[in-house]
Amino acid sequence: MVHKKILHGLDGSKGSFKALEESIELAKRYGAELHTVSVEEVPHYPGTVGEVIEAKHAANGKFGQAMQQARELAQKAGVELHCHVFTGHEVKTIIEFIKEKGFDLLVIGFMGHSALYDRVMGSTCHSLVRLAPCAVLVVK
Amino acid sequence: MLESPWLIAALWIGMALLASMISIRTAISVALIEIIVGAVAGNVIPWAGSLAGVQAKLETTPWINFLAGFGSILLTFLAGAEIEPDVLKKHWKPSLAIGFVSFLMPFLGAMAAAYYLLHWNAQASMIAGVALSTTSVAVVYAVMIETGLNKKDIGKLILASCFVTDLGTVLALGAMFANYNWWLVLFLGVSAVIMPFAPRLTRRFLQRYEGQVSEPEIKLLLFMLFILGGLGAAANSEAVLPAYILGLVVAGVLRDHKETVYHIRVAVFALLTPFYFLKAGALISANAIAQGAGVILLLLLVKVGAKFIGVYPTAKLFKMDHRISMYTTLLMSTGLTFGTISAMFGLTRNLIDSSQYSTLVVVVIASAVVPTLIAQKWFQPQHELVEENGNGA
Repeated sequence: MVHKKILHGLDGSKGSFKALEESIELAKRYGAELHTVSVEEVPHYPGTVGEVIEAKHAANGKFGQAMQQARELAQKAGVELHCHVFTGHEVKTIIEFIKEKGFDLLVIGFMGHSALYDRVMGSTCHSLVRLAPCAVLVVK
Repeated sequence: MLESPWLIAALWIGMALLASMISIRTAISVALIEIIVGAVAGNVIPWAGSLAGVQAKLETTPWINFLAGFGSILLTFLAGAEIEPDVLKKHWKPSLAIGFVSFLMPFLGAMAAAYYLLHWNAQASMIAGVALSTTSVAVVYAVMIETGLNKKDIGKLILASCFVTDLGTVLALGAMFANYNWWLVLFLGVSAVIMPFAPRLTRRFLQRYEGQVSEPEIKLLLFMLFILGGLGAAANSEAVLPAYILGLVVAGVLRDHKETVYHIRVAVFALLTPFYFLKAGALISANAIAQGAGVILLLLLVKVGAKFIGVYPTAKLFKMDHRISMYTTLLMSTGLTFGTISAMFGLTRNLIDSSQYSTLVVVVIASAVVPTLIAQKWFQPQHELVEENGNGA
């Protein structure tokens, strides 16, 4: 299967950079368009507006750095990388974005939480695999 | 029983630390988690003590009460200071109308339900009315940010209306239980002098001293807050009333000084609000909740129902369609910080008892969660994904 439009999920973790390396390789091999998406999650049910503003500010800083690093990696490999940042629920936002832009492959890093955490909170990785309307590559 | 203030402080800060870690991991606000952690500790420690045959409880000391009170004053000040005066000016007519009915209907509805259906006394019923009249600006703001509606007119209008509702709440809290005596006259007089000059004075301090490590501009704000709060308290009013209004009047000035606001937030979130929210949780009685589940459901329905009676037709009157009117109504049915502040006010002044306090706080928490989930699931207005600072395609 030839992929023409690849989306990579960037959360700044080691796993997501491992997945980015894989995405860059695939984009080169298929001559595909490569995009990366980061989603800032603000706290639910906050007690103050300030809590939301500061959480967003911290996420901006974190993703700004991660995007810069991702661009450098892509540039070294000679691949153009389009970066996108949204605010919202991670899974919902990425799925909406895939549908809106018609990506044919989603590449994400495996996030190892404890079994208890996954059972109670659910895993972003599992939810994306389950809900994505395209092929999903999970890089471990 | 812990004697050492350091050990008591370690216990409380330990709980705050735990709440922060859970909050980061779950993306649920630290305020809500602190209330829950406080509630668990407040109920589990005595239970564990009774199993071990010793009398044990989560210690609240005068200095913890002070820090919690200080936290609630600064929370309210920041809530007032977070308004965008231009937005309020631009949408003043609909926001005043929607915000006012959003306060009035649940205030009257919850007060009547508490008095006639639950047979609470008049003062406890008034506290119920105030605590359940609130709207959580913060919960609404988080939803707006997630949907990008904060950048659209409808989002700005809803936020401005929420500020009006909260103003109604603090005015009611400040006015209903005050002693109408000379202290009140003095409080109003000093407020009338300080409030008009506060923006100019604050701006001047910021221009001259911002960036100094000793933070004179923050001390000036605290000085004004303490004077007004102290006089308000002497009149048996509530210190959060002048705090909210002072926040409102200096909001325009602080908007251009984000660094100062950041410094205030750091101090408040790290040192003060944990004591407030943990205490708010620690005072919840699990037994009262278990026995009062029906009352909790009734008051939640009254709060949301009264918001529907008031806000929905008003929103329609301002030509919002059904979906947006429903969305606005549900978001304005949320509550958290001001609701708990009102309930705490009632408990500390013996206007309500522990079981009534527990009921009100649980209703307030439920009102932060349930209407938000319904609004986001079924009534979210159509919106496109709004990009932040990427270099997107």
